[in-house]
Amino acid sequence: MRQSIRTALVGAAAAGVFAASMWVTPEPVRAQAGEQGAGGGRGRGARGPAEPTPRLADGTVNLGRVPGEKGTWRVPYITNMAMRVIGPDGQLIPDIVKVQQAARAGGAGRAAGGGGGGGRGGSKSEPWMPWMPWSAAVYDYNSLNESKYDPEGYCLPPGGPRMMATPYQMEIIQQPEHKRIMMIFEGATHIWREIYMDGRKFPEGDAMNPTYLGYSIGRWEGDTLVVENKGFNENSWFDYFGHPHTDRMSVVERWTRPNKQTLHYEATVTDPGAYTRPFTVAWDIPFDGSAELPEYICQENNQYLNRLVDDLGQPIFGPRTQPGQKPAAARGTK
Amino acid sequence: MVRSARIILALAALVTLPAIAGAQFGHPLKGQWSGERTTKGESARLLLNLDWDGKEISGVVNPGPNAATVKSVTFDYSNVSAWGVKLTAEGKDAAGKTVAISVDGKLENIGAYRRLFHGTWVQDGQKGEFTVTRN
Repeated sequence: MRQSIRTALVGAAAAGVFAASMWVTPEPVRAQAGEQGAGGGRGRGARGPAEPTPRLADGTVNLGRVPGEKGTWRVPYITNMAMRVIGPDGQLIPDIVKVQQAARAGGAGRAAGGGGGGGRGGSKSEPWMPWMPWSAAVYDYNSLNESKYDPEGYCLPPGGPRMMATPYQMEIIQQPEHKRIMMIFEGATHIWREIYMDGRKFPEGDAMNPTYLGYSIGRWEGDTLVVENKGFNENSWFDYFGHPHTDRMSVVERWTRPNKQTLHYEATVTDPGAYTRPFTVAWDIPFDGSAELPEYICQENNQYLNRLVDDLGQPIFGPRTQPGQKPAAARGTK
Repeated sequence: MVRSARIILALAALVTLPAIAGAQFGHPLKGQWSGERTTKGESARLLLNLDWDGKEISGVVNPGPNAATVKSVTFDYSNVSAWGVKLTAEGKDAAGKTVAISVDGKLENIGAYRRLFHGTWVQDGQKGEFTVTRN
């Protein structure tokens, strides 16, 4: 499994096939209490009748495992976040539904978008995205080279909502006594995330050091955990398909647990450096009641990096070609 | 012997690590660029410090006492793998005379850490070539 996931993450061909399957498969956005399974979470996970939402002793929704039981969140692999954009009603926007319907009717949906993005349609196939000219061009470029430069393929951490779209298990640990919530991500390069629940303000000026995961401040609004995030660096993409973002990005996440088996995730992205208006993405994450966090080390034996060359034929990692030496591509590295 | 091996390893790490640690995927023209321009067979060091605020590219050419301020930047995205970039800048030389700069270049290797920006560089009416890579 480790190998297969790694291949999906770093191998353009395998990921392309997987991406295509994600593209054409319609996905409900919001899980309803009582439904079996979780709409956005793929594969194994929630099965059987929905169980009540677990709660902590003080009545707060428990976003983690129940004491004495096992369980982790099985984060789905969402390769194209633009196909998860929702409207004010919380449902996929009509444009995406049309694309999905067209795809089901014979693959016409992908072709209908046209665009200069090679085999994936590029920015023109996602007209609902509030592109700036440069972000559209970057996305077309990433489509054309099949995400060769995906930082997650380099085992760099995902940033923003991509944390919740990178496969493998995730666990949420609430520590009300410390006024914080920890999230542990196995698949996202073995990272953790701390959400401050102590009412603090965001650091200002140089005190806000841009990071991959940003600075997270949370609060409860009824049964919804609302997390505001700022302070992202520019070292990550939104998704495998290569939607870019800038360090001006802020993200507001909303988490609900409509039943024990389902975590519903929404993220509103505001990035005036790359997109002309905010947009919201959403999906469900299924709970696997029999799982515990495994160990997965992305960096281990990542041979993809060793054979990766840039547009000029130079190795992306390692020493550059010296004068008189043939470029790596010509040396037959693979 | 051991010391030599350590030095070699350290140098190898210096060559390799910046590419891993320094990935930056915001606006492709943003960042520090260094290289040189050549006019009539004479070359001169070139440093560009460019930023993107969501509306326009701003920055300076050769930061220092004789820096030129970027006045305008326009893009041609018709080739998504090699963007056309036109840049103008204005500064003053040591005598206080205005120096006008006009750049017509290509931005390539856009997704890689080591991006390439090259083309023609016209400064005070003298035309030459330039090549800079992102630091």
